[in-house]
Amino acid sequence: MRGNLVVGGTLVGLVVVTALVSFVWTPLDPQAVDASVRLLGPTSDHLLGTDKFGRDVFSQLMVGAQTTLYVGIVAVGLAAAVGVPLGVLAAMGPRWLGELVMRTSDLVLAFPALLLAIMLAAVYGASTLTAMIAIGVATVPAFARVARAGTMQVLSREYTLAARAGGRSRWWIAWRHVLPNISGMVVVQSSVSFAMAVLAEAALSFLGFGTAPPTPSWGRMLQESQELLAVDVRLALVPGLAIAAVVLGFNLLGDGLRDRFDPRLEARR
Amino acid sequence: MTAAERVAAGAGPAAAIARRLVILVASVFVASVVVFAFMAVLPGDPAQVALGVNATPELVEQTRQQFGLDRPLVTQYLDWMGGLLTGDFGTSYVTKEPIGPQLVDRLGVTLWLVGAGMLVAVLIAVPLGIVAAVRHRKPSGVGVSAAAQLGVAVPAFLAAIILVQVFSVQLGWLPSGGWTPPAYDLGAWLKGLILPAVSLGLVQGAVLTRYVRSAVLDVQREDFLRTARAKGLRPYPALVRHGLRNAAVPVVTVLGVQLATLLVGAVVIERVFVLPGLGSMLLDSVAARDLLSVQSIVLVLVVGVLLVNFLVDVLYTVLDPRLRRS
Amino acid sequence: MSTRRSALSALVSAAVLAAPLALAGCTAGSTAMVAGGPSTLAVGFTAEPQNFDFTTTDGAAIPQALLYNVYETLVKIDSDGEITEGLAESWDVSDDRTVYDFHLRDNATFSNGEPFTASDVKFSIEQVKQDWTISLKSGMDVVDRVEVVGEHHARVVLSRPSNSWLRSMTTRIGAMFTPDGVADLANDPVGTGPYDVESRRRGDSVVLTRNPEYSRPDDPRPEPDYGTVVLKYYADATALNNALLSGGIDVISGVTAPDSVPQFEADNRFRVLQGTTNGEVVLAYNNRRAPLDDVRVRKALTYAIDRKALLQAAWGGRGKLIGSMVPPTDPWFEDLSREYPYDPERARSLLREAGHESLRLNLRIANLPYAVSSAQVIASHLKKVGVTVDIEPLDFPAVWLQQVFTDGDYDMSIVQHVEPQDITTFGDPEFYWGYDSPRVQRLLSEADTAPPREYISDMREVARTLSDDAAANWLFLFPNIVVAKNEVRGLQANQVSESFDLTGLRRQGSS
Repeated sequence: MRGNLVVGGTLVGLVVVTALVSFVWTPLDPQAVDASVRLLGPTSDHLLGTDKFGRDVFSQLMVGAQTTLYVGIVAVGLAAAVGVPLGVLAAMGPRWLGELVMRTSDLVLAFPALLLAIMLAAVYGASTLTAMIAIGVATVPAFARVARAGTMQVLSREYTLAARAGGRSRWWIAWRHVLPNISGMVVVQSSVSFAMAVLAEAALSFLGFGTAPPTPSWGRMLQESQELLAVDVRLALVPGLAIAAVVLGFNLLGDGLRDRFDPRLEARR
Repeated sequence: MTAAERVAAGAGPAAAIARRLVILVASVFVASVVVFAFMAVLPGDPAQVALGVNATPELVEQTRQQFGLDRPLVTQYLDWMGGLLTGDFGTSYVTKEPIGPQLVDRLGVTLWLVGAGMLVAVLIAVPLGIVAAVRHRKPSGVGVSAAAQLGVAVPAFLAAIILVQVFSVQLGWLPSGGWTPPAYDLGAWLKGLILPAVSLGLVQGAVLTRYVRSAVLDVQREDFLRTARAKGLRPYPALVRHGLRNAAVPVVTVLGVQLATLLVGAVVIERVFVLPGLGSMLLDSVAARDLLSVQSIVLVLVVGVLLVNFLVDVLYTVLDPRLRRS
Repeated sequence: MSTRRSALSALVSAAVLAAPLALAGCTAGSTAMVAGGPSTLAVGFTAEPQNFDFTTTDGAAIPQALLYNVYETLVKIDSDGEITEGLAESWDVSDDRTVYDFHLRDNATFSNGEPFTASDVKFSIEQVKQDWTISLKSGMDVVDRVEVVGEHHARVVLSRPSNSWLRSMTTRIGAMFTPDGVADLANDPVGTGPYDVESRRRGDSVVLTRNPEYSRPDDPRPEPDYGTVVLKYYADATALNNALLSGGIDVISGVTAPDSVPQFEADNRFRVLQGTTNGEVVLAYNNRRAPLDDVRVRKALTYAIDRKALLQAAWGGRGKLIGSMVPPTDPWFEDLSREYPYDPERARSLLREAGHESLRLNLRIANLPYAVSSAQVIASHLKKVGVTVDIEPLDFPAVWLQQVFTDGDYDMSIVQHVEPQDITTFGDPEFYWGYDSPRVQRLLSEADTAPPREYISDMREVARTLSDDAAANWLFLFPNIVVAKNEVRGLQANQVSESFDLTGLRRQGSS
């Protein structure tokens, strides 16, 4: 269905544009505390009102988009940069290497990622970066598996077999045939992992191991709004909807891309 | 590892099982070393945390000796492992109680939560997924699909917070948190389990709905179902009679994978609902630098997941006829 | 992964899961729980005691639950900060103020049936000196010896006069133990108080029931109104609020989400009490390290932070501005909160004078709500005078203790200091403040032995000097906010002692 791609792309695009705009312009300083205007409802000065510090929620929301993208890019980038080569190696290298990679990835999957996040936060102080590295490491096996499965598929194709018979080296095959052919799957996995990373950052921020104040983050906005639920639901709704929208966007984008790259799946919709 | 690989690798089921066993033991060993190393580099001195501010350095040193933290790391590790092998998890620095029984108690709470969450997820996903598949070209089917997409996008803790606001604070129907053991008061236990299980299950249910939908869609294209439909059976009866069993296999697959996700999700839900499960024990133990407890909790989680993998492999090896032949 | 293998995986998971489930069903049920009812009170807290042994485990949670309720002291402190009788009905002090004669009540009994006598006083005080490991035990250093004069007459001889000793006897170090009751302090506390620990569920609750041995017929309150008190522990303030709103508990011992208080005030089911605590929320300046070793810089930062606005934004305006390390319930309290009025102009000129037109400082805080909230206001205020602040929340207590407290590696920090009379920490140049003032050290060491009147004026002098030196920035005094259902009476607004005192609680309508 083309709809997935359009809706997903629009949502993601919106977040990217918001983040880019917030680098150069926000209505007000998102970190400026002003006790005299705390907990205001939406007004013409404050489109989405103010939080308990009197900060402009709309400006925070805009800058929060940066944090969200930063989260996704670092976590997914790390996971793909480590996971894809490992997966390809596991499929093409010697058998023991493949075995080692897959067993290690089993172990990583069994290991609570939360502990890694807590550890990193304890050693380096809780920050967006430590949370992202933890999420990234936990996501490596997903990429390794996708890359390995994809590589195995490519290796069994006729053109690869032909290249092998023609005396081409493994690395030439990896570069010429494997990487281009699995890139689609990797992109799809990236989109899905991006959505998961955003959710994970929100959960970590909720537990206090995520983005450090005063950098605006949707996860932390949500956490800070908790005690105010009975006073003003708006403070929880704004970041909550933003998170839901960006996760939805990346999931839909992933689905749409999968339809693109995998015609067999397209047929079923 | 695929079955074919395994055939190539081993001589028979016994050899294959032995190989898996070696891998399991090696994995557990690596995990234990990793966990121990994590604890060794974790900043914060357990003795200092127990004693608090104003403690004299001599006192801190004395307490470190009491905890056995002044010994070489290798000795500490061997001591810990030696204890584990005899079923002794050691005594917590902080609670001064044996860790083992505590661990079992907490694990029970977490498993109830995860189990109930899984049940909720299945109860949501199976009917909705079927509807979405059977009516996939009609508005109702598309609506269900869209709702599932939205459900996946909502953080579980946000769902939890909203549920508490509505059903506990506003309506007063269900407790906002806390845990009553089932053996003490079954009714109170059930009431306390509902909201956490629903919070955990809603999001997982949304994920699962999408898989049920695509599994049912696949089945619907199979010949036997087309035949049944051609014979005049209406879509749902046809599906129930012929298709569901076939669609169940991939769905159960996803359920298995989701188990690990649920265990992690449970940590956050335990926090919101103040359930004394393994997740909250992990967070508390890390905060109090109760290193022995943290090591043991993590190892139990890791071993649990690895053990499930191992048993699956063993059963598969035993049951797979191709392996038996070789 | 093939589908078949995974289908099996799920089945095996289910089987593996089922085994401990059955097991847990048994063990979980073995902990006794107590039925609700009119004589049961449920009180919600945020910090759970990890064990019941406050002789070796530091922290506020254990004495909060046990002191006065399970363990009693010879003397208690009331909500105005006055010392009143406890297990001692009266006491005399010698003219040289080194000999204290305690006349004990004759109807106190430990929960194991042992009567409370003067030899228990001797035992308990000597235990503090010998076996305790928490740092607070130093409060007992001044005791030279304890004599058993009669069955209900104990004499404590100090090595020198001490103004603070009797007051410290109202804290946990004054708790009375019996030699037969200290075998398993961590799990089985034995005291003379009206309650006894019945059971606990870790991560959830502690159940106190009436101590059957407790009977004080001649007291205004011969036995407690509530036969059972459940102390319920919640991980965060929101969960605590929700528990009260949904009827899970009857009392919130202390609200730490101040912006949620108006909803309780507006609700006629509840009563809100607001008072003071001993908890000074302090912005610590690292006096040892440049540029904060320069008094002009410290003063500049103090002028640059609008504490009134901070209190409003960070803590809903609840709390009290103090201006030095003294809570209003201390006898030497003096309101110094107006010493550094908000004046960014003056801050800038002081900074200029000190040669710091612009400055970058780290703010390594405890990752607790009050600190995280205050830090964001401080960063915003200091930005206006050209000071860039990097907020680093540290895992509390572990990492904070290591990095800030022990290693002194910080520029500024925020933590709440809850110990009574913790102003004395400024007399220790090694303390993490890094504050080394011979004058303050001399005043503090003289104050404890000085005649009472000089004591008060000396302490006042110390408080004033700290303020003049801008040794730290006292942001506000943490408020004590108790919310309870209407029918619960006898709660105290001020939290001055280390105990959440249950002994005075009663149900409206009962006698």
